[in-house]
Amino acid sequence: MNFFKNSNLAQAWLVLLLATVFGTALAGIQVKLSPVIEANKTRETMEKIPDLVLDTSMATQTATQDLIIQSRVIEIEKNGITKFYPVYDVQQKNGSLAGHVAKARGQGYADKIEVLIGLDAGGNTITGLFILDQKETPGLGNKIVEKTWRDQFINKLSDTPLIVVKSKTGQPNEIDGISGATISSRSVTGIVNTTIADIRPRLLPIPKTEETE
Amino acid sequence: MTDQPTAFERFVQGILPENPVFRQLLGLCPTLAVTNGMKPALTMACSVAFVLLCANIVISLIRNLLKPHLRIVVFTLTIAAFVTIADRFLAAYFFQMSKTLGPYIPLIIVNCLIICRCEVCASKQSVFTAASDAMGQAIGFGLALSSIAAVREILGTGMFFGIRVLPENWPDWVIMVLPPGAFLTLGLLLGLVNWIELIKSRRAS
Amino acid sequence: MIYFIDIMLIALTAALINNFVLYYFVGICPFVGVSRKVEMAFGMGMAVTFVISIAAFISWSITTMVLIPGAPLSSFVAGFFLPKEMAANIDLTILSYIVYIFSIASAVQFVEMYVRKFFPMLYSSFGVFLPLITTNCAILFACLTIMSHVVGVENPKDMWDLGRALTLAFFGGIGFTIAIVIMSGIREELELCDIPEPFQGAAITLIIGGILAIAFMGFTGVDSGIRDLLLPETPSQVSAMIQKQPQFSENIISSIEIFGIHMEIQ
Repeated sequence: MNFFKNSNLAQAWLVLLLATVFGTALAGIQVKLSPVIEANKTRETMEKIPDLVLDTSMATQTATQDLIIQSRVIEIEKNGITKFYPVYDVQQKNGSLAGHVAKARGQGYADKIEVLIGLDAGGNTITGLFILDQKETPGLGNKIVEKTWRDQFINKLSDTPLIVVKSKTGQPNEIDGISGATISSRSVTGIVNTTIADIRPRLLPIPKTEETE
Repeated sequence: MTDQPTAFERFVQGILPENPVFRQLLGLCPTLAVTNGMKPALTMACSVAFVLLCANIVISLIRNLLKPHLRIVVFTLTIAAFVTIADRFLAAYFFQMSKTLGPYIPLIIVNCLIICRCEVCASKQSVFTAASDAMGQAIGFGLALSSIAAVREILGTGMFFGIRVLPENWPDWVIMVLPPGAFLTLGLLLGLVNWIELIKSRRAS
Repeated sequence: MIYFIDIMLIALTAALINNFVLYYFVGICPFVGVSRKVEMAFGMGMAVTFVISIAAFISWSITTMVLIPGAPLSSFVAGFFLPKEMAANIDLTILSYIVYIFSIASAVQFVEMYVRKFFPMLYSSFGVFLPLITTNCAILFACLTIMSHVVGVENPKDMWDLGRALTLAFFGGIGFTIAIVIMSGIREELELCDIPEPFQGAAITLIIGGILAIAFMGFTGVDSGIRDLLLPETPSQVSAMIQKQPQFSENIISSIEIFGIHMEIQ
């Protein structure tokens, strides 16, 4: 029996040796690259924040360093489901509140859509919209990422829910649907409506606990 | 070892005569999944090239130590390790691309192309031959991927590498960048390659 | 109730809407190679479904128990060597690909031995396909999808439990079976057709696969429709839907341009 064990080990020594070598190499890679990967993930959101809260002209002048961005999570309990909204509160260097950016997810036509919604201080008007992640139909549904469509949301008031229409009749809360992608445009609008309704009462005052970021 | 092809033969064979996609039908999964644009296709080709080259070299270096019944385990272990390295590297330096390719980078592990080259060439021949074989196969794979991606991107969006090549009033054939377009394009290109081969063999006879 | 709806939608999505073969292109090799006869295709499909469920169970367990930061087993073992805070955050997810491929390979190996010993009838119907399955991308793809819903999820409530993971895997396998059986049915009829010589074999199979994929695209959006009906997000959205009732057909039918021709897909 002992001999059998030994021979098994003897046969597998190469596999074990390779496993050790590769394991060490991967550990090295992990130590070296994981901070970069983590930074990539947060940067993806952080880079967009000035654009979403400030006017375009101001955003180009104001570098990210001039803003103080605090992150927090707003937790909402509704119909037995707990929802989490990561919210970034943006302050100017002089301490005045510039606005908030909320990250929200919802079901789109093909898969989940993840959006960043920019709101002014207190969340009265929408100041910007950005689609972080989507897998909608190329050529149709994925037109939601285009700036011309997203920019319709800017300056919309947040007290009336937005609706998607085929042709505008002049109501202030109308969003032009994308032809051939009614569901995608409606999904995004739905996510915006729900998010604002959920988090607006909780935006102010900003809790003073977290000073990092 | 006299009947084994030389390094140069291996290299040339990989590119067209034994093209992994069109002739051997290996690695079809990434071929179909990531060819809706030139950029993801080329990134995929580079990742496969990296993994194939590294795996072939390592396997060739240890080929005399391999036990026949444990060789597949060694191949898989080597490939999985290098795929992880490639995946982490992409996530660190090409973040958007790594998000686009998603699970298809780790799926290189089960790409039959690599395990097939390890088995056929690297576990039998010297390091130099194995490396040139890997290069040849990788170039062949890259060519196949980019030919499919070129057709799909140009017809589907009117663009090539994101630069418009067809006139503005071109009606985008959206279907080409959707999943069905991948099947149709590969099917038609495969038919074309077979047809050319058929004509050649008729001429010869 | 919400959990049940969630499970149902995952099942529907995996089996039909985002079919493994026709939407994600995983498992193309057997789709082209083993789809000549209906019985063979069905055997292959069953074998894949069987193995994919077992692999999903193993990989989900390993991921939650060992790989993710704060996993019970890894932090317990690391607790002997490292200070407490470091041990609780040990992150082994970089090993996940290696772990998955080996758990798949060993699952295949054990299933083969077990089935051959205890169910010789079953073995004779799909046993020959078992060794081929190790390199079937569908299995690894299911493990990776489950991993993406377990690792790096922003809030812990969104993390998939074992039930969701197994549902995805099992119905993914069912979807694979559906696709490959339909394909083999068509190919059996195709034997009688006069196909141009260059297109015989793989080429015509892929083109038919393309047409099947177009057909399966018709399922897109069904899940979000069902979700909206069963789990309305906000009251305003429901009222918006009721207001829009006369135009309801528009929501389902989306137009699409195929080869430059404007077509309506239902």
